Amino acid sequence: MGLALMCLAHTALAQDALLSDSLEEVVVTATGTQHLLKNAPVQTEVISGRMLRQYGGGSLEDILGGLSASFAFNEGDMGSQMQMNGLGNSYILILVDGKRLHGDVGGQNDLGLIDPQNIERIEVVKGASSALYGSDAIAGVINIITKRHDESLLLENSTRYGSYNDIRQHNGIGLAWGRWKSYTNFQLQHSDGWQNTATEHTPSSAAPVTDSRSKTVNEHTNWQLSEQLTFTPMKNLELYASGSVYGKGIYRPKGKYPKYDVKTFDLTYRNASAAVGGQWKTAAGDLVTLDIDWNRHAYYHSFTSTTLAEGFDADGQFILDFPYFKGQRLLQSDQRRTMAHLKGVFALPYGQRLSAGIEARYDYLKAPTSVENGKADDNTEALYVQDEWVALGWLQLTGGLRLNRNEGFGWRLTPKLSTMVSVGDVRLRGTWSQGFKTPALKEMNYRYIREMNSIIMYLGNKDLKAQTSNYFSLGSEYTHAGLNVTVTGYYNKVDNMIALATIDRNEAPLAYRQQYGEMLNKVRRYKNMEDARTYGVDVSVRYTRQEWTAGLGYSYLDTDAHVYDADHDRLEKVVIDGMAHHKGNVFATWEHRFSPHYQLGIGLYGRMSSKRYYQIDGNGKAFHTWRLSTTHNLGSRGKTSYRVEAGVDNIFNYVDRTPHGLHLGTTTPGTTVYATLTIRFSQGKNVKFNKMSNSKIHQNDEED
Amino acid sequence: MKKIKFLLIAMMAMMTTAVFTACSDDDDDNVSNMERYQKEVEKTVRKEKKNDKAILLVAFGSTWQQAYDAFDLTRSEYAAQFPGYDVYLSFSSAICINRAMAGENTGKRNFYEPKYWLEAFGRVQYKEIVVQSMQVIPGEEFSRVVNAMKDFGNNSNGDLDDKYMSEVTLKLGMPLMYTEEDAGKLATQLDMNLKTYAQQGAMLFMGHGNPDEYDTYKANVRYTQLEEKLQAINPNYFVGTVDMMDNFKVQVHDRMVEKGLTTGKVFCFPLMSIAGDHAHNDMAGDDDAWDEEKGAFEVNEDGEVEDTSWKMYFSHLGYTIDAKAYTDGEGGLVKGLLEYKNIRNLYINHTKNAEVVDFYHSMYPEE
Repeated sequence: MGLALMCLAHTALAQDALLSDSLEEVVVTATGTQHLLKNAPVQTEVISGRMLRQYGGGSLEDILGGLSASFAFNEGDMGSQMQMNGLGNSYILILVDGKRLHGDVGGQNDLGLIDPQNIERIEVVKGASSALYGSDAIAGVINIITKRHDESLLLENSTRYGSYNDIRQHNGIGLAWGRWKSYTNFQLQHSDGWQNTATEHTPSSAAPVTDSRSKTVNEHTNWQLSEQLTFTPMKNLELYASGSVYGKGIYRPKGKYPKYDVKTFDLTYRNASAAVGGQWKTAAGDLVTLDIDWNRHAYYHSFTSTTLAEGFDADGQFILDFPYFKGQRLLQSDQRRTMAHLKGVFALPYGQRLSAGIEARYDYLKAPTSVENGKADDNTEALYVQDEWVALGWLQLTGGLRLNRNEGFGWRLTPKLSTMVSVGDVRLRGTWSQGFKTPALKEMNYRYIREMNSIIMYLGNKDLKAQTSNYFSLGSEYTHAGLNVTVTGYYNKVDNMIALATIDRNEAPLAYRQQYGEMLNKVRRYKNMEDARTYGVDVSVRYTRQEWTAGLGYSYLDTDAHVYDADHDRLEKVVIDGMAHHKGNVFATWEHRFSPHYQLGIGLYGRMSSKRYYQIDGNGKAFHTWRLSTTHNLGSRGKTSYRVEAGVDNIFNYVDRTPHGLHLGTTTPGTTVYATLTIRFSQGKNVKFNKMSNSKIHQNDEED
Repeated sequence: MKKIKFLLIAMMAMMTTAVFTACSDDDDDNVSNMERYQKEVEKTVRKEKKNDKAILLVAFGSTWQQAYDAFDLTRSEYAAQFPGYDVYLSFSSAICINRAMAGENTGKRNFYEPKYWLEAFGRVQYKEIVVQSMQVIPGEEFSRVVNAMKDFGNNSNGDLDDKYMSEVTLKLGMPLMYTEEDAGKLATQLDMNLKTYAQQGAMLFMGHGNPDEYDTYKANVRYTQLEEKLQAINPNYFVGTVDMMDNFKVQVHDRMVEKGLTTGKVFCFPLMSIAGDHAHNDMAGDDDAWDEEKGAFEVNEDGEVEDTSWKMYFSHLGYTIDAKAYTDGEGGLVKGLLEYKNIRNLYINHTKNAEVVDFYHSMYPEE
């Protein structure tokens, strides 16, 4: 298909406005400064607002999985597991308007914190970016840029309804008054969940269970209210304050098999955030920003029937059989984070631009029954600089260095070097960068039991070392006459990779061993693996001509990881869970304006993955699914505009019916349909007191 | 219009402030939960109390239907054998209790922990309480049963009538192989049930056993004694365990080889009161860590082959495995001891011979 598109390209003389639009897009993630996409010194993948609107994605999982070949998701009964070029969630830094997302569901970032209707565009920078962003940026960085609202008065409502009672509500109120601006966002997401199979994975010695109630994806509801206030006291100075509250519930069905489908608690999450900050643009054009934010993410077990669980007896002794009753809940963990970040971007002579910043971060974990003494905390401070230098018209160099100090792991220097060479229509980019991840408080301190088909105990490890990585990539990009082709090869070596290793069952603390006995199937502890390598090639092709756009993405991946086996004093090869060698996506869209009151868009999207490998509980099957989406812009009536989106997902009704307890390739329930109605009332544009074009202006936190 | 907008913005500002403060909603369940729970157990006992003597059968617990069936059978047989006694069943595992009680169960399954049952028995003032351990050996799990009785005898909750406590008769029925003599009796009964298999090939028993660090009562020795008694009947019998040091499947195999049993059929039977996870997974499961390249299993530092069931282990070592024998269906050997009448009778005899224990210490020793 790529070749066919290349041939087409030679005949296409008119460069389509749509493609050039996206290449002229301003991106910020690679360097923290603005660049046109085509001139970004590090390859940046952009999912543009136009693509988002045409695709009509119901969630961030849906969007990233459907529009990029580098991501894999496994929407499980406890939330989505994300992978980016073979590395899991904990190696992916997710930013919302440049700020770290806070909050996880079962160790996975809670992507429900992001309102898909409020996304302007998504920027993805693959590979290590710790020099600029600090911990976690090992596999890459996803930066969700939210919409900016300048209207004097804006009222918007978007309601989506789909199969399995899939409801997505977005409501926004935007106001601008003099030097003040406000935007209030409320979102609601709900799904009844679904069951792909009623069969449980049972041992061959037992009769099969074929009428289980366990769902493939459990019913869940989440809601979020956020508010952002902006004040522009004088020209070139903008201040903001923002906050949000968020709640999520995961509801689990109860059947008749205590071994398989009887659960005695649901999962509840509560998240809150608050932030203040501002930015000042000096007369010389330099930019200084300050952001202070606080986040909280709490996770509870909400009991649905009488349950004996962790607690404290009358003497304050920790016990595993403290009774809880229906309607009561038990706090599992409450993770709080406070961060302050001061940054400046300064123009220097000889085509140089310097970014420098200091950061302080305090993490606090409260987990009365899952951490010794009930709490743990951690401090990190960092100082970083980055210089971007346009050395020659065709040569750009970027170098960055971060000095990080962590309470437990001391000092660390993390460098990054990248270069871009432009020759005609071709851009060549090369990067060497380091990444690191300080062990999370939970990885060090938390101990918990996960009750799935089998019961597994997880133990933290205070002796964990920080994970570090070296990332190398070499890529080329060719853009000509509506065609854009990128090919990037990468090699990512992670040292001291933290992974769960199965240890002897008898290493579980006595109280747990006594209570769980033979049901305790495995005991796993976080350990530093010796090393892990991921390497592969990402290819993307896009072609735009008049009203048509088509594209494909392909990602080849291989991994090579070792764990030290102390019993035998040797390295053992292991797979990185969830790894697939081949992943791809293709799409074709067509847009046509029939009248001022009707514009139609049609899109066909395919995604595919080869077999996914796991250490335990079987491999996930290969799959491909297809989606047809339509958009209908119904134009404006006065100040109100209307838009309808409707589509069919998984049109060939592919369903993975692997029994519960084993890994699935994909959890799609089969063919589903959806429809969205968006109504938007807007009045006037506010007079801009601040003409700064740096997108930092709207890098305010609404979702974090 | 401007005023309205100003008001709206002011409202938003207040909301932002509210967000800062609306963040502490932790639940603190206090100790009264324990009393509330105890009251539920008491209510159950008051409803079921028909006599002034009670028998409490204490098992670790399970989530397998097959195990519930075996427990139900045992309970009804006890009720028939012990007229004048109310028969209760207790689990000592919290998670087994949780799961058994919840969901759409076919029957009511209130298998409370021994401490709650005993306290409730005290509150309704049963005159005689017999606690029967459903354990196989007097090991770590059994010691927890004894501790629960001691706590009760000592009125550790402090709310039972001291006069009642000084008068109540507390008896303890011992585990299946409490003495070496018991092991002999068990061997005879097991042979009655399984002799046709032992005549065809190696007949192995898989017990639980205690890991070294928890084998405080040295109860593991009973497995060795059982093997001796069984082999006196038929040398094809072997007894190994999941957790007892130097008596894993690997050592069972070593002993088989010593006796010249290097080929032929291998049958396995769980030496546990019910067939649960150990029986289904560790004995008859499909986990298999056979190293195809080396043509061997890897033995860990404790001398055990991990992540491999007995079925798969012996199958790779050249023995014949009859798949049907490794199921819980008809003709299968994945059964709990309690599924056999003659073994249930051994427990019943222990209950009949239950010894009076004196764990009572007056709260007011000076009186």
